[in-house]
Amino acid sequence: MSEPTDQKRRNFLWGLASGLGAAGIAGMAVPFVKSMLPAADTLAASTTEFDLSTLVEGQMVVIAWQGIPVFVVHRTGKMLERLKGHDFRLKDPESRADYPHVGATWMKTMEQRLTRSIKPEYLVTNAHCTHLGCIPLYKPSPGQAEWGNSVPEWWPGGFHCPCHGSLYDLAGRVFDGSPAPYNLYLVPYKYTADTKILIG
Amino acid sequence: MIERMLNSSVAQWLDERSGIVGMVRKHLLDYPTPKNLNYMWNFGSLAMLVLLLQILSGIFLAMFYKPDAMATAGGYTVAFDSIERIMRDVNYGWLIRYIHAVGASAFFFIIYMHLGRGLYYGSYKKPRELLWIVGVIILLVMQATAFFGYLLPWGQMSYWGATVITNLFGAVPVVGDFINELLRGGFSIGDPTLNRFFSLHYLFPMILVAIVVAHLHALHVVHSNNPTGVEPSKKGLIPFHPYYTVKDLFGVGVFLIVFCYFVFFNPTGWGLFLEPDNFSPANNFQTPAHIAPVWYLTPWYSILRSFPDKLLGVVAMALSMVLLFFIPWLDKGRVRSARYRPVFRQMVLLFFASVVVLGYCGHSEPTELLKTIGRIATAVYFGFFLFLPIVTKHEKTRPVPQDV
Amino acid sequence: MKRSHRTTAVLGIAFGLVIACAPMAVQAEEGGPPPLKHPHITMDRKTLQEGLQVFTNICMGCHSAKYVTYGDLMRYPELGLTRKQVDALRGSKSLLAGLTTDLTPADAKMSYGKVPPDLSVITRSRQGPDYVYSILTGFEHDPSGRIPDGFYNVYFPGNHIAMPDPLTWFHHDPKDTDHIEEQARSVASFLAFIGEPHQLQRETIGYYVIGFLVLLTIVLWLLKREIWKDVKH
Repeated sequence: MSEPTDQKRRNFLWGLASGLGAAGIAGMAVPFVKSMLPAADTLAASTTEFDLSTLVEGQMVVIAWQGIPVFVVHRTGKMLERLKGHDFRLKDPESRADYPHVGATWMKTMEQRLTRSIKPEYLVTNAHCTHLGCIPLYKPSPGQAEWGNSVPEWWPGGFHCPCHGSLYDLAGRVFDGSPAPYNLYLVPYKYTADTKILIG
Repeated sequence: MIERMLNSSVAQWLDERSGIVGMVRKHLLDYPTPKNLNYMWNFGSLAMLVLLLQILSGIFLAMFYKPDAMATAGGYTVAFDSIERIMRDVNYGWLIRYIHAVGASAFFFIIYMHLGRGLYYGSYKKPRELLWIVGVIILLVMQATAFFGYLLPWGQMSYWGATVITNLFGAVPVVGDFINELLRGGFSIGDPTLNRFFSLHYLFPMILVAIVVAHLHALHVVHSNNPTGVEPSKKGLIPFHPYYTVKDLFGVGVFLIVFCYFVFFNPTGWGLFLEPDNFSPANNFQTPAHIAPVWYLTPWYSILRSFPDKLLGVVAMALSMVLLFFIPWLDKGRVRSARYRPVFRQMVLLFFASVVVLGYCGHSEPTELLKTIGRIATAVYFGFFLFLPIVTKHEKTRPVPQDV
Repeated sequence: MKRSHRTTAVLGIAFGLVIACAPMAVQAEEGGPPPLKHPHITMDRKTLQEGLQVFTNICMGCHSAKYVTYGDLMRYPELGLTRKQVDALRGSKSLLAGLTTDLTPADAKMSYGKVPPDLSVITRSRQGPDYVYSILTGFEHDPSGRIPDGFYNVYFPGNHIAMPDPLTWFHHDPKDTDHIEEQARSVASFLAFIGEPHQLQRETIGYYVIGFLVLLTIVLWLLKREIWKDVKH
């Protein structure tokens, strides 16, 4: 033997090599894992713009956002009036349920809780029924004249889901007796101009 | 620390039910290895590393790649579009793609060095003939894998390279046309070809892993050769761990520096790894001015081109690979390592040189001068196999050491 | 030196010379195209944005670059266009749409005889931005008089290019030389950039990775040397 084994130096070098090696492998894993997160083109398609001025009064459209159908309704003054006076029939009139997307950070005034919108005229919600996901039918006129027995006689106008009978008012608030547990989910949106919204 | 892990209760539990601790000790830690191995012995572990890298990067690329030759705007295809999407939109997609492209070339470079080591030091000689044969099979499976993979980007070189090579198989008498149609799935290279090549490109590496396991098993039965070619006595053996684990890790470090230089600073490899023509979308009405396979297939291509007759060229090319299998029996010398065989040494170095020259010729435009040089190199290449049995039967060798 | 080693060395040098001289022999035989011009390609924002302007104002009359979307023009920090600038460029086209020309392949074939290739990866499929620059500033008068002015290009293989002198290089006023050369330089730089938009990021990461690997390899070398002290030779 030329010199005694410097075990301390060996242990140090083993430790250092292992530490650096582990760091290297972890570093190498990062881009691979990240590659599985949504790609740039997917993210670019993650917002949808919509020009509200294309809607006439009383009109409802369903548009796509991230592959999800979204209701956009242009409500008249009369329709907004019909949101009042039936709180006792609603499961969650003020959208207070502790569940994602029932309320929104912009819901600051009681009027906004009533209309469930940033501006009263335009409603923007997820079009999936909160029961099992069917898309409800738009039945805006009050009473049974247009809709027959599919809606109750006190019907103020709103949405009716044909799958299992859930009923919502013109702000997407769910009525008692519906199998759906929550009001129609809200989607994140903001106004980029007076009549333009950006969803997502 | 390894000892602590091997003696832990988890390890004991596993060992009682699988023998894993025993295997790790026998084949990785205590495995007796000659103490005089030089750095030419690092290429085996490097090959395993690159195989792993290719499989890893390949699996991730397959999450985004679409094997569809349907036309899209600009003369492109869904397949070509999907690769550009990987390069531009997938997070770090460009990195994964470059790892795979550079890795393919790295894999062949390493394998050629590994093969060269085997030839020079006589690692194919008894009792390692089977080890050698399995190794040559690995080379062939690698070449097939690379061939399938190269079609996938659906660039000009992809399309026309595949056209030329499948036509080669078509030259085989009797069954040629059938094989050709089987490979293509149609009358020419097209969407069916692309889909099946994608499937085969994913399959062949799995076959490769199995063959590599067989290769390692065969190795562990006969144990490694060493630069002297002399079987070591007990004094000449050291345990694989820590000596060769540490030396292999150092080799990995050096390799990764070179590899990452290419991936990050020169991913096209001066146009050798990612060829410019392959950034042009495949156009079945226009052949590129200059078709050549990727550099690692050019030596065999050059041999093919050396013969004016189509069938003769194909036979010669096939023979150039098949002859490799027979080296353990063509070499009749009794001394293993070229270190002590001056005549054999010249022959084998000349052989290496001929492969390099063939590679250069195969990659370049076939001018009259290069055609002549290519033919000379082809003669040298086959001359090696031809003269091996004659020369080695009577060669004068130098005295061989007693031990390593 | 041992005799056999000397012979090997001589053989090796001989083959090396053959390989080294072959390109010259090839060139002498062919007398190929003239060497390309070598402009100073840069990828600073000013050059890239100027190149984008040249591309959208002139090239997009016939060529697309479909892999670059209007949204990408904002997304790539090297280009760094604002939303306003992109809106001005795209008009009614979606942010997700690629930069595509309005010239249909059918009309192109009728007017020019060929469909102008997509330019997304043109510098990667030819000899780089130098090729683009050389072509754009390579329109001359055909000495043999066969090919009409504006279609005779010194650098294009075969000299007869289907693309009519886009920057009006041929017979330009000498006082415009600098301006046209700058247009060619900036659009070549822009095309080199969009050929591989992550190239600058790639190199930056590369420095860190290689730095780390050098450090790791030094440690591994020290470890190897230390462990191997045990082994006598």
